[in-house]
Amino acid sequence: MANVKIFSKKNLDAFVDSLIQDKKYEVVGVKSKGKRFAFDTIDSAEELRLDYDITILPPKKYFLPQYEKLMNYSLKEKFDVKPDNENKPRIIIGMHPYDIIALQQTDKYYLDEQKDDFYEKRRKNTIIIGVDIQNVSEHSFASSMNTHFTESGFDLMLTNIDNKYAVTIGSKKGEDLLNKYAKVDDAKLSDKEKINKLRQNLVSKYKKKVKVSGGKSWSSLLVANYENSIWAERSSKCLECSSCTMVCPTCFCYDVHDDLSLNLADGQRVRTWDGCLLKDFTKVGSGEVFRNDLKDRYRHRFFRKGNYLAERYDFIACVGCGRCAVACLPNIASPCDVINELSHFGGEDKPDKYFIKQETKIDEKGTIHVPRQATIKKIQKLTDSETLFELELNDKKPLGHKPGQFVELSIFGVGEAPFGISSPPSNEPTFDVVVRKVGNLTSKLFTLKVGDYVGIRGPLGNGFDVKQFEGKHIIFVSGGTGMIPMRSLIEHCLDKKNRDKYKYMKILYGAKRPSDVLFQDKISSWEKCKDVTCKLTVDSCQNGECWVGSVGLITNLFPKLQVEHIEPKNTMAVIIGPPVMFKFVIKCLQTLGVPEANILVSLERRMKCGVGKCGHCQINGVYCCKEGPVFNYSQIKNLPEAFK
Amino acid sequence: MSKPRVAFFDFASCEGCQLQIADLEEEVLDLISIVDVVSFREVMKEHSDDYDIAIIEGSINRPMDEERIKQIREKAKILVALGACAAIGGVNKIRNQWDAENVKKDVYGDAKINDNKYFDVYPTKAVDEVVKVDYYVYGCPINRDEFKKVVTSLVMGKKPEIPTYPVCVECKKNENVCLFELGKFCLGPITRAGCNAICPTNGSPCDGCRGILRKPEIECIQDVLDRYNLTYEEMKNRCIMYNYSKEECKNE
Repeated sequence: MANVKIFSKKNLDAFVDSLIQDKKYEVVGVKSKGKRFAFDTIDSAEELRLDYDITILPPKKYFLPQYEKLMNYSLKEKFDVKPDNENKPRIIIGMHPYDIIALQQTDKYYLDEQKDDFYEKRRKNTIIIGVDIQNVSEHSFASSMNTHFTESGFDLMLTNIDNKYAVTIGSKKGEDLLNKYAKVDDAKLSDKEKINKLRQNLVSKYKKKVKVSGGKSWSSLLVANYENSIWAERSSKCLECSSCTMVCPTCFCYDVHDDLSLNLADGQRVRTWDGCLLKDFTKVGSGEVFRNDLKDRYRHRFFRKGNYLAERYDFIACVGCGRCAVACLPNIASPCDVINELSHFGGEDKPDKYFIKQETKIDEKGTIHVPRQATIKKIQKLTDSETLFELELNDKKPLGHKPGQFVELSIFGVGEAPFGISSPPSNEPTFDVVVRKVGNLTSKLFTLKVGDYVGIRGPLGNGFDVKQFEGKHIIFVSGGTGMIPMRSLIEHCLDKKNRDKYKYMKILYGAKRPSDVLFQDKISSWEKCKDVTCKLTVDSCQNGECWVGSVGLITNLFPKLQVEHIEPKNTMAVIIGPPVMFKFVIKCLQTLGVPEANILVSLERRMKCGVGKCGHCQINGVYCCKEGPVFNYSQIKNLPEAFK
Repeated sequence: MSKPRVAFFDFASCEGCQLQIADLEEEVLDLISIVDVVSFREVMKEHSDDYDIAIIEGSINRPMDEERIKQIREKAKILVALGACAAIGGVNKIRNQWDAENVKKDVYGDAKINDNKYFDVYPTKAVDEVVKVDYYVYGCPINRDEFKKVVTSLVMGKKPEIPTYPVCVECKKNENVCLFELGKFCLGPITRAGCNAICPTNGSPCDGCRGILRKPEIECIQDVLDRYNLTYEEMKNRCIMYNYSKEECKNE
């Protein structure tokens, strides 16, 4: 067993007070707040309430603050951005084991291959002194989650035994802290036994127990009950306040916005907590909301905890603290109640049904938040509503993207949004994005001029694996602005260097009206290529408009496809377009005989962070920004949220 | 780029929202560095009818108000409703529970007001019940930070992002003890955020001054009311202070 020392109550207080007096650290501890408790800065050991049952908010607020300044920018200069460097070391005294375990889960998520540098900095700068639970919160079910004690994740762990505190050393940092600031005695074997006994006895103090627990047990139960009526029944009482997500130690979705000083001279990019119960959580620039029904949002929270993250990381992302149950006025938020209710229905299903196991390759190392500078090189109006911006990274390096990938484009003071890259991969430092004026960022972009700077993060996301296309015929199906990223893929495939690798190509494209057709000149040049057919259609064509293509939905183009050029079984099909289009086009492709596994789609969601962190673009267990936006249809056809 | 010209106008209100802006103190200098304030009765004597942005405080109560707000709307490129009275009708709408003539009689007794256009009141309307409102600054009074955000957004040419989520979100971030636990009846769960939960943070239950996002059906909220010993009637009464609506009463 780990190294254990003993504090008399007096010596523990002296230890805490000397930490405070040293002023090297901000010392945070649990204090009373009315009848409840909260983590807060402490001025003296007397304020510490190590006997607390639960705090209102979890200590995640010290690692992912409610409002977190990510960077400062000046609007006087073209591009003057500095990441925030606030960095005072902190000691947190009194974290309960379930909160320590929640933090370890957050590490998996925030310190994965796309590390969040702001989180990492805080994490490294914080010393954690845990405390074993003395009083159990009435809504907590931590013992069912096996989170009522922990052997790791802390620097020091305090345990109250017989009016003194045992302190278990969990790290070198913790040991050094004791050596420098504390007066402790060695623990006897009997003290160590008392710690174990105390933890064992704790279990009986929990009134709330989950009937199904351990490992991934929630996962298959949830999947089997995706369509269960309990989601509608329970959510009918939901007030949509999202308090459950705010107080949760394992809810770490966020939003980012730009604040401005009143004189418009400078501002800050701020990250703040967001909640998936809120209706606008999934809303994209064009106004579409992807999880519109409250029932779906309510269900999403439980699936994220018990299925989506469970399949991704092998842990249930609920530590049983019960804070959501304390906070929820209608009392419908506790995962304990939901799982127990579902356990009556039982049922087994493939637990990883709503999740894609996929290795994501990260080319770009370094900060995931701070954009690189790019200059607008060319602005070309394509249609009444779309304009092409040619951008060049100021470091003159090629973007290095694959067709289908996207960038996050920033205008400081306005914000950031994802844009599909429209130009094919190249060795030039320039690339194209095509923008439709729909929201704040795009409206602002339309006012910029050649020579102005923007911020770029990326390339991001999973693009097209063009190797898959080799030796095959290809059908490209684009609807509306879907042609923007499709152009990148088509031009890449038609490139002299690559053309021989692919067989016959059919390009199908539907727009609203003739004047909305993008890349008219490019389309004419594609048409002239050998073994290429282009078929265009518009929803409507007014009198006097010049139009030689079809009129009608894009599905009308399929019967006109001459199958003699292509062998459907040896054909790849790519679909990019508005959400309504997919179902119908996929049906047409299947009728044609194109195998499911050969159909690739690129989906649109609210890809706010672009690196699988903020949670907005989730399609069931899949992050559209990370595992997508390009998916193989056969991989995601069973995700209920994919083509809803 | 020339600075947008801004004019403030007041209708039926306490003018407390404009006072919040006057209270920006030294920050007023920053404000006038990005906009030209051409009319603001509370702080300056000059007035101009040439403006781009009209900021309206107060609700519409008389035909003469209606005429005036329509004229302002015609001149303004952007019209902003400032504060609860302008944005949702606010406390002025409490009066709409009763017949306007009876209210007059109650307040003015036998005074001779019948031919006086200043007393020619009809049921209170929010500004957007009379003219198109482009943007809203909610609250009684407004939150100065939010006002600044709206102004900087307008000058930057972007649409101000006003929360569509309830006060609970901000209240939770402030780590307050829930007022329901303290036996107080708070409208935070159903009221639009953006005030940084100032009332609950200071111990006062939310009165819904920024507007009710969604009034829950009785079936939805009955359990909550039961748990805290409240009735649906009480909930509706709590909503009257800032969110009285006649249509709703008709349906009952």
